[in-house]
Amino acid sequence: MMTDENPAAKAVVVENLVKTYPPDIRAVDMISFSIGSGEIFGLLGPNGAGKTTTIKMIIGLISPTYGSLRLFGVDVAKSPQAARRLLGYVPQNVSVDGDLSGYENLLIFSRLFYVGRDERRERIAKALKYVGLSERANELVKHYSGGMMRRLEVAQALVNRPKILFLDEPAIGLDPGSRREIWESIRQLRKDFGTTIFITTHDMSEADYLCDRVAIMDSGKIVVMGPPSKLKESLGGDVVTFQLTQPGQEVTLPGDLGQVVHQDDSTIKILTQDGHKTAPLMVLALKDQGVEIQSMSIDVPSLDDVFLKYTKRRLDEHGNISEARATRRSIARYSK
Amino acid sequence: MTLGERVSSALTIADMEARKIHHDSTELWTRLVQPALWLLIFGEVMNSIRGLSTGSLSYIEFITPGVLAQSVLFVAIFYGINIVWEKDVGVLTKLLSTPSPYSSIVIGKALSAGIRGIFQAVMIFGLALVIGVNVRLDVLDVAGVFVAIIVFAMCFSSLSMLLASFLRTRDRMMGIGQLITMPLFFASNAIYPLSIMPRWLQYVAMVNPVSYTVDAMRAMLLTGDYSNLPVDIAAISISTILFVSLASLTIKRMIE
Repeated sequence: MMTDENPAAKAVVVENLVKTYPPDIRAVDMISFSIGSGEIFGLLGPNGAGKTTTIKMIIGLISPTYGSLRLFGVDVAKSPQAARRLLGYVPQNVSVDGDLSGYENLLIFSRLFYVGRDERRERIAKALKYVGLSERANELVKHYSGGMMRRLEVAQALVNRPKILFLDEPAIGLDPGSRREIWESIRQLRKDFGTTIFITTHDMSEADYLCDRVAIMDSGKIVVMGPPSKLKESLGGDVVTFQLTQPGQEVTLPGDLGQVVHQDDSTIKILTQDGHKTAPLMVLALKDQGVEIQSMSIDVPSLDDVFLKYTKRRLDEHGNISEARATRRSIARYSK
Repeated sequence: MTLGERVSSALTIADMEARKIHHDSTELWTRLVQPALWLLIFGEVMNSIRGLSTGSLSYIEFITPGVLAQSVLFVAIFYGINIVWEKDVGVLTKLLSTPSPYSSIVIGKALSAGIRGIFQAVMIFGLALVIGVNVRLDVLDVAGVFVAIIVFAMCFSSLSMLLASFLRTRDRMMGIGQLITMPLFFASNAIYPLSIMPRWLQYVAMVNPVSYTVDAMRAMLLTGDYSNLPVDIAAISISTILFVSLASLTIKRMIE
């Protein structure tokens, strides 16, 4: 699939995409990638990396400064409306209307998508049942929980059946149970309808669990791209993490022992070939440099480590999640 | 994109708003207080002192179409606040990512301001009848007044959406709404005839779509003199088309 040269067979083809904002901010800085039809693709990166800007350009909500975009062969800049018939979009914020019932949300948006009258009725009933909202379909959405709102958004995709669904941080601000449910229904969408899925996330476990391929994005650039398993393998070997009793000075290691990929006041992370052999040597080397070790662990690399290696920074999750939670709460409060 | 699809999208958006009003109509009821006060207090007082020459009409008759227009103007000019709210929660982004054209979305929203306007009009109409305003109850005239109200509401709600695309916050929209409604209302023939205005104000009133709407409604509701009607219709239509077109072009700015 990845070697297919016919551009129409590709769900998304992005070439040299740039978005700058005045005075001189390059939100998206020359990125190129393509997504095969039926693929689940993730754009992974910290808050402010340019993920949402990228999504909004692909679906034609903001115009790129430079570069070209195709959705199933349709040029987004030239025929935005034709492109929008192919896609569904679930923004990061709640996008269902709190002042309408669950049923009305599905009905109105299916009409805006030009789903035929007969199909509409049947699909809405089925979708409500699938996401477990049949009982509460006639209740106003502002009385729903955050998880129920997200499920309703998935139901919209079930009714409108876009060829490609864009989800901006699909599980943000949800409790672990609801996250699982959303992930399962995203997979189910692809299985049942062959829907291509494009997600953005700052959550590596989400990217790892859902995506066939991820592109890691930082400061507007794609730093590395590939299947999560390959990316992790490419780091080779193990990650050895030392917890420190007190902050120490910056450490260096002989090259054959491993590479220090991260150091802060309480931890040192080292990428190495075979952790079980090199760890004891590292302990000695660190002791020599005056580091006091509290504990140590040896793990296989995670996507977080991949990110760390290529960007020299950690994926910062906390700010992002609590922010989104606060938005959800304030929306719920305001509409009640 | 067929014409049928465009129309269907616009009607769907209007339906969406109508359903919201159906779920909660508190706002519409509170908006009735102000026009009722204009009619019952200002109208009655000015009527009894007979300070303004309003031709063959009593003063309270004269201002009934004006108060009608004013109440619809208020509803329409603050309509952009709803759009800002929808932008803040994410619904607008979602609407603009559907295949429906932006112009249909703007027209649909404008129509729903028309629905709110009709609600106001029916209530004020009723009030006017109760206090004894001598309204011409001809079916065509009444229908004409309702059409005028819908178009008028579309005109100023799309102006409001146009402003919202640039101002983008609820606070600024409240401010600009306050800033322009009163001048629009006072620099028109809503509560006094053009002839008693100073010359410069007459010129302002002549480019003010409110004047043409009030004039058309006054003709249909009260005088039955249709001689100005073609000009009125042309003026309201042109400004509505202008604002709807501009708002359709700028609404995307809201989410950029």
